[in-house]
Amino acid sequence: MPNPTSPLSQIQGQASAAPGLEYHVAAGLLDDVHAGDGGVKPQWQYLLNSLRDLGPQALQERDQKIRRILRDDGASYNLYGQDETGGAAWELDTVPYIIGSEDWARIESGLQERAELLNLILRDFYGARTLLRQGVLPAEALYCHGGFLRPCQGMQLPGEHELILHAADMVRLADGSMCVLSDRTQAPSGAGYVLENRTVMSRVFPSLYRDSHVHRLASYFQRLRLKLSSLSPSDEVPCIVLLTPGGNNEARFEHAYLANYLGLPLVQSGDLLVRNGFLWMKSLDGLTRVDVVLRQVDDLYCDPVELRSDSRLGVPGLLEVARTGRVMIANPLGSGVLENPILLKYLPAIGKALLGREPRLRSVRTYWCADDADLQFVSDNMQQLIIKPVYRGSGLTSVWGGDLSAEQRAQLLANIHRKPHQFVAQERLHKTHIPTFANGVLEPRPAILRTYTVASETSYLVLPGGMTRIGAQPGEGVISMQSGSPSKDTWVTASEPERDIDLEQAPDIQRHEDYSALISLPSRVVENLYWMGRYGERAEAALRYLRTVFVMLNSEQPISAEARKILLQAITQITATQPGFMEASDALFAKPDEELLLVIKDANRLGSIKSTLNSMLNSADESKELLSTDTLRVINDLHDELDGLDYTMAGGLVSAPEEALDPLVTALVALSGLMQESMVRGVGWRFMELGKRVERAQQIITTLRSLMVPVAGEADQSTLLNTLLVSMEVLITYRRRHRNRTGLELGLELVMLDPTNPRSLLFQLEALQRHIVKLPRADKTRGELEEEERALLEAVTTLRLSRLPQLLATDTHSREELDRLLQQLDQLLQDFNSLVSDKHFDHRVDAQQLVTTFWGEH
Amino acid sequence: MRFRVRHITRYKYASRVSHCYNLANVVPRDTDRQDCLRNRVTISPQPAVTHKRIDYFGNKAYHFEIQKPHTELVITADSEVQIKNRDHELDLDLGIAYGEVGRYLRKHNSRQAIQAREFLLNSPMIESTPALADYARPSFEPGRTLKSCVSELTSRIFSEFTYDPAFSTIATPLADVLEHRRGVCQDFAHLQVGCLRAMGVPAKYVSGYIETLPRPGEEKLVGADATHAWVAYFCPEEGWVEFDPTNNTLAGSQHIVTAFGRDYVDVTPVKGVIFGGGQAPVLEVSVDVSPLEESLAV
Repeated sequence: MPNPTSPLSQIQGQASAAPGLEYHVAAGLLDDVHAGDGGVKPQWQYLLNSLRDLGPQALQERDQKIRRILRDDGASYNLYGQDETGGAAWELDTVPYIIGSEDWARIESGLQERAELLNLILRDFYGARTLLRQGVLPAEALYCHGGFLRPCQGMQLPGEHELILHAADMVRLADGSMCVLSDRTQAPSGAGYVLENRTVMSRVFPSLYRDSHVHRLASYFQRLRLKLSSLSPSDEVPCIVLLTPGGNNEARFEHAYLANYLGLPLVQSGDLLVRNGFLWMKSLDGLTRVDVVLRQVDDLYCDPVELRSDSRLGVPGLLEVARTGRVMIANPLGSGVLENPILLKYLPAIGKALLGREPRLRSVRTYWCADDADLQFVSDNMQQLIIKPVYRGSGLTSVWGGDLSAEQRAQLLANIHRKPHQFVAQERLHKTHIPTFANGVLEPRPAILRTYTVASETSYLVLPGGMTRIGAQPGEGVISMQSGSPSKDTWVTASEPERDIDLEQAPDIQRHEDYSALISLPSRVVENLYWMGRYGERAEAALRYLRTVFVMLNSEQPISAEARKILLQAITQITATQPGFMEASDALFAKPDEELLLVIKDANRLGSIKSTLNSMLNSADESKELLSTDTLRVINDLHDELDGLDYTMAGGLVSAPEEALDPLVTALVALSGLMQESMVRGVGWRFMELGKRVERAQQIITTLRSLMVPVAGEADQSTLLNTLLVSMEVLITYRRRHRNRTGLELGLELVMLDPTNPRSLLFQLEALQRHIVKLPRADKTRGELEEEERALLEAVTTLRLSRLPQLLATDTHSREELDRLLQQLDQLLQDFNSLVSDKHFDHRVDAQQLVTTFWGEH
Repeated sequence: MRFRVRHITRYKYASRVSHCYNLANVVPRDTDRQDCLRNRVTISPQPAVTHKRIDYFGNKAYHFEIQKPHTELVITADSEVQIKNRDHELDLDLGIAYGEVGRYLRKHNSRQAIQAREFLLNSPMIESTPALADYARPSFEPGRTLKSCVSELTSRIFSEFTYDPAFSTIATPLADVLEHRRGVCQDFAHLQVGCLRAMGVPAKYVSGYIETLPRPGEEKLVGADATHAWVAYFCPEEGWVEFDPTNNTLAGSQHIVTAFGRDYVDVTPVKGVIFGGGQAPVLEVSVDVSPLEESLAV
């Protein structure tokens, strides 16, 4: 199969000249592509010609490629494990939406004007409210909206803008003009996906993209970064964070992506706290003062003290810090008031009052049921209208009157009469259709475009492009982010190649990554990296040992029942899946397959391979923004291998079961390799290393205690030693060095004391010592050792002072000296682990509301 | 009349609270009827940060953040308030007719009239349901003066509802109060506000205090010794008039306003978030309102 991006395939596509990729639009549908005379509009010509030349086969291949890249980037991975509630996979259509640059210039200026107008409205609503006093807007239109947050009265951002970010959902009408359906003014979502879509499209269609002269997106994000910095109340380098609600959803991908692109720490509510009237991020170096918050949390949820008291997504006291001007929030709290659809009805009048003219960009015709004439119209025409709640958080949903029975309409009307302020009705617009590649042909689909605007110096800058969503079928129907409608990249094409933007000023992802190595990380992220290191190592050790045991059990030389018992019990110890084989019957030792299968693939059993890997993947998810693309790819592979485990193991442990585990080991090794080769040596990396080394040291100790402490007969002893050496990957070294020394002693030396063996116990302890002194500490000049350093020093010294012959000597059937030493080291490592986590990780106390239960009583 | 008010709010926690963020509405505001001459809020343990401000409704909001571990929080508010109006009988036959109120509000563009319209709408704890309108309707006739309508509604709530501290909590829905005809001052205030809004009359919820000791020859008022609640309705051309349904009276020289709001949620005396504290914090509230001799007042 030829590489679909190579010129060769384009030539082949041309040669085959597939007839399938002609684009036709049925009569009666609004058509964005063809002009009135039936000819293709200029902006679409190049694209449609190129797609026709490419042919359906090649386009299908590119479609596959898009899916692969999205999946590799983690944009469209279905969630795993216990949390099955994750969003639908992100879908990107192969055909971009093309907007010509002259057309775009009109849209752009309309959007700038709209953002300026909304900005003035926002300032007025939380300030003098002259729009109400002058009767431009009925007072109830503001007062009835759940997004009008009275605690935000009088708050202002520095500079000319209250509204920093604005997004609008628009459709194109029959006359070619754009019409706004709704405004998004809290935390407009999707801009991260716009970036991702663009990145994918420019990779999958490199020449088409290059030759289409598409306007670049970078300057929008650069302005956003600059604007956020300019808001900072502090004179020093501002600390700007991106606040996400967290959780495993598709927004999580977007937030991590945006945070990385903008070079901002990604924080959740628990990473922030208010102290002494300022906002702080809990980081390893203690608390870092936060100057600006780019919030992705709805405003009502941002502070349980003054806003929604049941919110777990906010920071107690945040609003008061913002009120006193010690932190700036973009968009400011309370900006959700602009999402009020009643405003759409009054926008022309408000435009006249505030700007001296009606806004150029139209809004969908909106009827407010608290207006007598509007209510009459809605009652008479309900079947032709969409009835919407005024406030999104009200628990009411939008309905299309045409879908309702007469009885349902009467019921709805009764509700409207009870709360007329809370309902608006809107006409249903016919949307223009644009081509999509489906079922091997180009088909028309209705489209909605979400645009993004950011405050910039004296005006607003519009992202050239946006998020296009298409319906599942031609005609009408709901199109929304939530309903999982496919997305499209949006290309604003210039007739001339765009002059290169000033590269000096363009945000450079690489530079941001360097920068992010310098800034502090939230403790939560670091803790997750630590556990990612631990779980990864735990799974790897267990896998390696299991593999070795499978080989031993099935080897041509039968092993004794005694050795078999020790080998199997070690599995239980290493995976910590007690009771398992610890107090098992002879029958179980004779037929261990069922238990072994559970140890591998029972996700509900703590310590099983699957459960440990799921924990690792969860930790990886929490620290996603620090992981490279390659790392994310390996993590996706791990997901797949885990999902495939049920399949490959379905028939039980039939033949060569160790082979089924190989891909998992390979993926884990690849992961370790990437950590070594492509992770910046910042604190994040150090904690992952710490986790890994602590875990490996403990695994070595457990393995040694299981296999080397029992005294067995000569043949068995050799089996056990062999198992140890194979699972620790030192068999070859052992054979090379095995000259005139006894096997056991040499084996122990390699596994415990050889400082050059990266899998020896001593090597782990010394690595821990090197990392621990590099961690941030309160007092760098202190000569006295920290507690965790003491624990390590004691472990290293005890180990190095030990004498192998003494450890091995015994007259019972157990090597007690060895066991004592290993137990002591294990205890020291446990102490070390709790000292490190107490010191560096966050231990949150649960918050609760002060509930007033006594009132007016005596 | 001049009063000295001491309002103590005490929270006792089952276990240690490591830190807390609070917002208190415990200092009397200024109104047409009263001036708060001086006030002082003392908090134990000592807060790390405090901030006083005037909120959206014109009330005095007091923010504080405590970082010292504690098992008891005490907020003491000491205020001195001058009441300007004298007690007088309201002439129920004067003023705008109820039937004119709606048109006045629609047509009149005074700042006060526009602001009043906010208090016609539903609020977090009060939804003006048909049931409330049904209850209120017998007292409202278009030709009757608004004052006399509201006065009659106040009397009916006073006589038809039983004051019963055991019946309700903060979370008791208004529908239950209406159905069982019981509650405390807060419920009666919410009820009357809901009735007034349902009838198209703008109404506010008022939190405050009443004089602790009865005056010579008078009975002690219900709601003394604790925070009290009543209502204010908007009377076109006159402004806000306060009625106390729990005592069936106009708010007079014995009523001291702490805060106005749409309902309890806007004027909660102390709210906030605590870290730690264990189960079920215990709240004790005491209020002492004593008259000051005019000559003693500074």
